[in-house]
Amino acid sequence: MYRLVWKIFFSFWLSLIVFAGASLTVASLYVEHARSEDANQSPRDRLKGYLEEARVVAASEGTEGLSAWLKKLDRREVIPILLIDAQGRDLLDRPVSAHIAERIERPPARHDQRRHPAQRGLVQTGEGTEYRLVPDFRAVTLNRVLTRPRVVAFPLIAAAIISALVSFFLARYLSLPIRRLSRATRQFGSGDLAMRVAPSLGGRRDEVAELAHDFDQMADQLQALIAAQRQLLSDVSHELRSPLARLQVALGLARQRRPNQPFPELDRIEREAERLNELIAQLLSLARLESDAGLPRTERVDLAALVAEIAESADYEVSPSKRGVRVVASIPAHIEANTTLLHSALENVMRNAAKYTAEDTGVEVSLSPDGQRAGWVLVQVRDHGPGVPEDMLARLFDPFVRVGDARDRASGGYGLGLAIAKRAIQLHGGEISARNHAEGGLTVSIRLPTDRIRSNS
Amino acid sequence: MNRILLADDDIELCEMLQEYLETEGFQVEAVHNGEDALEKVRSNAHDLLVLDVMMPKRNGFDVLRDLRMSSQIPVLMLTARDEDVDSIVGLELGADDYVPKPCNPRVLVARIRAALRRAQASAGDDPAHTQQDVLTLDDLQMHTGSRSVVVGGKPIAMTSTEYSVLEVLLREAGHVVSKADLSERALGRQLTRYDRSIDMHLSSLRKKLGPLPNGTERIKTVRGVGYQYTSP
Repeated sequence: MYRLVWKIFFSFWLSLIVFAGASLTVASLYVEHARSEDANQSPRDRLKGYLEEARVVAASEGTEGLSAWLKKLDRREVIPILLIDAQGRDLLDRPVSAHIAERIERPPARHDQRRHPAQRGLVQTGEGTEYRLVPDFRAVTLNRVLTRPRVVAFPLIAAAIISALVSFFLARYLSLPIRRLSRATRQFGSGDLAMRVAPSLGGRRDEVAELAHDFDQMADQLQALIAAQRQLLSDVSHELRSPLARLQVALGLARQRRPNQPFPELDRIEREAERLNELIAQLLSLARLESDAGLPRTERVDLAALVAEIAESADYEVSPSKRGVRVVASIPAHIEANTTLLHSALENVMRNAAKYTAEDTGVEVSLSPDGQRAGWVLVQVRDHGPGVPEDMLARLFDPFVRVGDARDRASGGYGLGLAIAKRAIQLHGGEISARNHAEGGLTVSIRLPTDRIRSNS
Repeated sequence: MNRILLADDDIELCEMLQEYLETEGFQVEAVHNGEDALEKVRSNAHDLLVLDVMMPKRNGFDVLRDLRMSSQIPVLMLTARDEDVDSIVGLELGADDYVPKPCNPRVLVARIRAALRRAQASAGDDPAHTQQDVLTLDDLQMHTGSRSVVVGGKPIAMTSTEYSVLEVLLREAGHVVSKADLSERALGRQLTRYDRSIDMHLSSLRKKLGPLPNGTERIKTVRGVGYQYTSP
């Protein structure tokens, strides 16, 4: 079950063990190798080289030069090289271990006497001081190995690369499904209720996969709940229709019985029934828009003509109340859209503006290229009304939002018009937002992509 | 007296509508499901059918589809107000007009009268059509007396509404007729918001008539303005 725990545990544990083991092994192998100098030719050759060098340096630069050379050598050579004078002291004052001292005290063997001084490791400076070059193999310690980068560099780099690769793949392996999950969560949150994660994880079975399954289950549940709620709303609205239809016919009958007689109460009932009817229509249309994932039948729409047409009819409707709606700027623009939806979105926004603009003022509608994105157009609808409190701007497109003043309450608030507009614009891949104009009034901005590819036919 | 068949599953609504329509001078018979509606219509005893979409046993669309194979009786669909798809489908299937439900019964009566007027013109008692018997344009002949249309020698079956729309366009061939004009002259009513009936009638007319012999479009859409019958 808890496979991820073990995966993490074992990969860290193993790589630590391997790394530590490998570096210890490499280092100790090296130490061994350096100590058993007899088994190998190369340290000897190296020593011979050092001796030659020491002689040259000693001859030309004297004791000081020799000590500088020795210091430099010690920094890179794992095997401590001692230069011991006649008094048994090292040139650099390093401690001379007992076995070395013993080796020097011992009178040279006879065959040794005959040998050339160089072969006995003797170095003579110009001043006539004589040193003996002695490698102290036993003093090769792990510490010396590890503090000499040249020696440990290769295994260290190899280990770093290998562990980097292991860590990288481990991190990727762990984070990839989490990234998928978070992307899915975001998508789900933004309304794509059909989003699921588990299928994209293949046969993975660990805590992350489990989490993905849980997410999917939650998404199923939520989707079902939301669908049920929308269905209920839709059903209720449909059911309200039947009695409303009967009410309207009954009204008609009542009028038929008293022809040509004024009957203000009946007029009122009729108006209210019409309002109820309109409200139900909006509710149903919002419910349907929200359950739709894509656009129903799209066609090429002349946006400029559509904007002009809607503005004109809105203008006609509000003209008795000394208000107006007019297009102040326009560009030729075509868009792949569902005419009815786009029409209702633009119309709701314009009617709303016409409702709130002050008497003797006009709503200004403009169609222009969107300055922020190429290929997008911007429809702006500006009224000269009271505007909306800043903190309510974002909620303006929620269903039945009330901005708060009494006049608003009387007029039924923003109702569903703007909520429908928002959803319709979203279905077209666009955006809608509102802000207060600096000189008063509200500006609603609708941004639409014009180069949208047909999503479905 | 015009005989109307009312097909709606809401019995109470039917009773009231029946009363209302009878007061308006119609003779009304009501049925409450699709099968009964088809059966009654086939008896040829009615002048017009008011057909609700949502009905048990064969819904309104099924009824209309079957009906149009044999009969061109004027049909008025009652559609849910918000389902503009319903009205489009209805018109595509050959309905003459649609009335969103719930609706004011006055509107229903006005639509019924308009549809009946169009249909009764085909009986030949409309004096306006007796003067010129045949309108000919390219391969199309319209016999205004019998209200029939022949294209390339083949008679085309169409509803009286489709015929009316085509007649208006033919008489104005070469000129653009606005949608509002078409609605008033052919459907006998004002164009309303979201009203797609003219577009739908036009689209089924195009389908039935096909392109002109030289392959060009017979009826052009002039965006934002209206429609135009291509004149030679």
